[in-house]
Amino acid sequence: MSEKTKVADIDRSRYDFRFEEDESNYLGSGLTPELVSDISHEKGDPEWMRELRLKSLEIYNKTKMVDWGPSINELDVSRIITYIRQKSRMNTDWNDVPDDIKQTFENLGIPQAERESLAGVGAQYDSELVYHNVRKEVAQSGVVYTDLESAMHDERYAEMIKKHFMKLVPPTDHKFAALHGAVWSGGSFVYVPKGVRLEIPLQSYFRLNAKGAGQFEHTLIILEEDSYLHFIEGCSAPKYYEAGLHAGCVELYVGKNATLRYSTIENWSKNMYNLNTKRALVSEGGKIEWVSGSFGSHVSYLYPMSILNGEGARAEFTGITFAGEGQNLDTGAKMVHNAPNTSSYMNTKSISKSGGISTFRSAVVVNKNASGSKSSVSCESLMLDSISRSDTIPAMDIRTKYADIGHEAKIGRISDESVFYLMSRGMSEQDAKAMIVRGFADNVSKELPLEYAMEMNNLIGLEMHGSIG
Amino acid sequence: MSTVKLNTLPVQTFSWLGVNEAHRELEQSGVKAVTLSSDKNEINVLQSADYEITAHGGENKTAVMFIDPCGKTEISTSVSVENSSSVRLVQVFEGREQTVANVDARVCDNASFELVQLFLGTSDTLSEINTQLEGRKAGFTANIGYLLDGNDKLDINLIARHLGKKTNSQITAKGVMNSCCEKIFKGTIDFVKGCGGAVGNENEDVLLIGEKVENKTVPLILCAEDDVQGSHGASIGRVDEEHIFYLQSRGLPEEKIVQLMARSKIAQIVNTISDEQVRERIFNKIGRDNDNG
Amino acid sequence: MSQLLTITDLSVSAEDKPLLHGVSLNIEHGSTHVLMGHNGAGKSTLGLAIMGSPEYTVTGGKIEFDGADITNESAYERAKRGIFLSFQNPVEIPGITLSEFLRNSLEQISGKHMKLWDFKKMLKAAMELLNMDSSYADRDLNVGFSGGEKKKAEILQLLMLEPKLAILDETDSGLDVDAVKTVSQGINEYKSRTGGSLLIITHNTKILESLAVDKTHILSAGKIVSEGGAELVYDVIENGFDRYNSKE
Repeated sequence: MSEKTKVADIDRSRYDFRFEEDESNYLGSGLTPELVSDISHEKGDPEWMRELRLKSLEIYNKTKMVDWGPSINELDVSRIITYIRQKSRMNTDWNDVPDDIKQTFENLGIPQAERESLAGVGAQYDSELVYHNVRKEVAQSGVVYTDLESAMHDERYAEMIKKHFMKLVPPTDHKFAALHGAVWSGGSFVYVPKGVRLEIPLQSYFRLNAKGAGQFEHTLIILEEDSYLHFIEGCSAPKYYEAGLHAGCVELYVGKNATLRYSTIENWSKNMYNLNTKRALVSEGGKIEWVSGSFGSHVSYLYPMSILNGEGARAEFTGITFAGEGQNLDTGAKMVHNAPNTSSYMNTKSISKSGGISTFRSAVVVNKNASGSKSSVSCESLMLDSISRSDTIPAMDIRTKYADIGHEAKIGRISDESVFYLMSRGMSEQDAKAMIVRGFADNVSKELPLEYAMEMNNLIGLEMHGSIG
Repeated sequence: MSTVKLNTLPVQTFSWLGVNEAHRELEQSGVKAVTLSSDKNEINVLQSADYEITAHGGENKTAVMFIDPCGKTEISTSVSVENSSSVRLVQVFEGREQTVANVDARVCDNASFELVQLFLGTSDTLSEINTQLEGRKAGFTANIGYLLDGNDKLDINLIARHLGKKTNSQITAKGVMNSCCEKIFKGTIDFVKGCGGAVGNENEDVLLIGEKVENKTVPLILCAEDDVQGSHGASIGRVDEEHIFYLQSRGLPEEKIVQLMARSKIAQIVNTISDEQVRERIFNKIGRDNDNG
Repeated sequence: MSQLLTITDLSVSAEDKPLLHGVSLNIEHGSTHVLMGHNGAGKSTLGLAIMGSPEYTVTGGKIEFDGADITNESAYERAKRGIFLSFQNPVEIPGITLSEFLRNSLEQISGKHMKLWDFKKMLKAAMELLNMDSSYADRDLNVGFSGGEKKKAEILQLLMLEPKLAILDETDSGLDVDAVKTVSQGINEYKSRTGGSLLIITHNTKILESLAVDKTHILSAGKIVSEGGAELVYDVIENGFDRYNSKE
């Protein structure tokens, strides 16, 4: 037993590391209008943002906790330190980044990734964007990739941000959206002008590093007509014993005939509460493609929503969730068909192991005005032992006869036959099972850029080897 | 009279979907209790009642209920299938008033429970089915058909709980929705820890014909055991284009095709009833060309 | 012989992919035509386009049948005019019996009510001819039928509906020797009883043995590349398509 744990711990070390924090950097914990005003002041918010924060706090205090999904009783939000003072100013040169932070990123391989011709790196350390660089040609094409705070003060984008910020996910959406509205900090702003098709992906790496700190980053992406963007969001966090919280918010506006691919590998440490809200609004002929891997965290609530608002708009969601020991991951997607001839496609896999709980939860809504719409959902769950749990909770709400809706789900375990077949070709049982699980996750890994697919396969390998020792 | 929470989804989901539960006002006064003791029971249900069916010692019991009451009605049926026995229950709902039905079943070793529920033009029906597959190799088959029109409302909450090893459940729902009717079908297969070798399948096939229909389909699989096979599928929409083309190529106009496909949905459920007389009675009601006997 | 089907310069595409490029083909009353070509040449597409499948869009040219332009008609209207397609993959329709379906179909096409007794007699005779077990009449349409049974059920419909033109899309493929013989008998019966025309899509000569082939067309990459009499069929079977393909 102890050896197993040790193996898992050592192998995870690549993702679980931290540095000592300077206590003086905490602005204080607990949620009061004063705290929210302080954050606002510190950030130099425009007036509308200060009001939005205070209004959101009010909504937060009035809103009840959700009455479905995994328990979040152990999460004491007021104790979560909501803001860590900016530790370093914005940097556009890697050499200026402070050493301890730099080493964290070195461990994650970010500068290398950039050197390997990735378009740009926006890395969030604690609550502030500390490193930011967009390759010149990307900037020259008119694409804006910057942190939200500075964009808000840039007169070129100020109006645009005011017009879109928390309009897709209003603070009234749910309790943690309200919390986000009150204390959000850091994050990215991306603007892709009409007709610009960015062939190389933009990527950001978010990390949480302070004990008990919450991360409330906001991502706002606006794609104009006929544009294309692939945005990669990666998350990982060090291990802590006190409950951590992530309540980020992602708002994506996909213009007419534009396509946005949004890829994420969430690998929070296993004490995190990941209550992230992601939503895309897709205009006529536009397309949103979600690729989502959920591995870490203690508890996750994550259901990216696509609102197909223009004729012929499309959405695709490809996801995998791996719930191991001590994890309760409630993930899925929501599709709302709000215009004629829209289509949505969902393909998810979930894996439960060592007492982990994984829940697939979805909603497909086809409104009256969405005639000619199509939706197809396929979800598969794999149970790796009998102490784990896997639930499938899809829902369909169809309000037009001019629709074509399909749904299928399967649950089961690795077939003995497949394991036997692989073993008969000389593989150990452990390797055979790991290979089958990797194959099971193929729907997501083949959608990811190579280095992410490799990272995901490594994560699966780690999770698998922990169990079968 | 009091408002009661009914048809609660075993695991709650997004509340804005409005599928977590239903509310109805119930009388909750004492109703007559009826024990169905013959091997074959055919009854016309005209008022609220509590029925009880028990099969034991290898008995095979059948009960057919034509439920067409005048006025609000609550019908409870408690089914107990002991070892190596079987119960077949057919419930045909035809009432135009609010009906709340409830079937509670427990199924023991090598026993089977077969349920057919048909909703033919019922205006407001709420049906809850709770089957506990307790024994080893206990089996449950549910075939549910509905033909809804006008402002009809139907809310079904079916739960198959697999407790025993090698238990089996097969749940099929097929229906047709016309005009502006509303329907919720919630079907849950619950694999409880310890039900190794269990198999559960669930399928719903909905044909939408009306311009203003509202269809909600919520098929759950809850699983706490690895040695199981569970699946669910749903298909919702118009008549398949391939079917339309094939039937058109044989000279059938589109209205006729829709009519034919609608009847086919119900016929598939009716055909699972083994009693020919019962089938005939239903076919006469839904007006199928009775030419193939 | 007068013209029954006249296809002029027909171009067809599916999901914006062009599949047929200017195909012209004439079928006279009472004649038997054979359509051959590689897999993927567009043979089934042509058959389905003549029947009016919504999967295909006519991008040019026209189809006339019995003197009327049917290019934009639905499959239902074409069926009423007397066109029949024996599908390569007939659909399965649970809940509707073969007999119930066929009676509906017959009444629609003939436009008159048919006495149940007369219908049953007619169906029984046709099924006997095809060596079909009478129980198939009460089985759901094509549900659980084997490949061969499905093809027989298609020919059964051909015999019952008596169209003016029957397009047989690889009706003989995947059948064992006996089944091919039975299906051929059905086709001969149709031919001798109604004098209708045939367009047979096939890779084999077996099904053609007792038929007098009037004309053979070879389709390659969406175009008719060669035409000839019955002898062409045997030439292709012996020597392959290759020399026709390079003729373009």
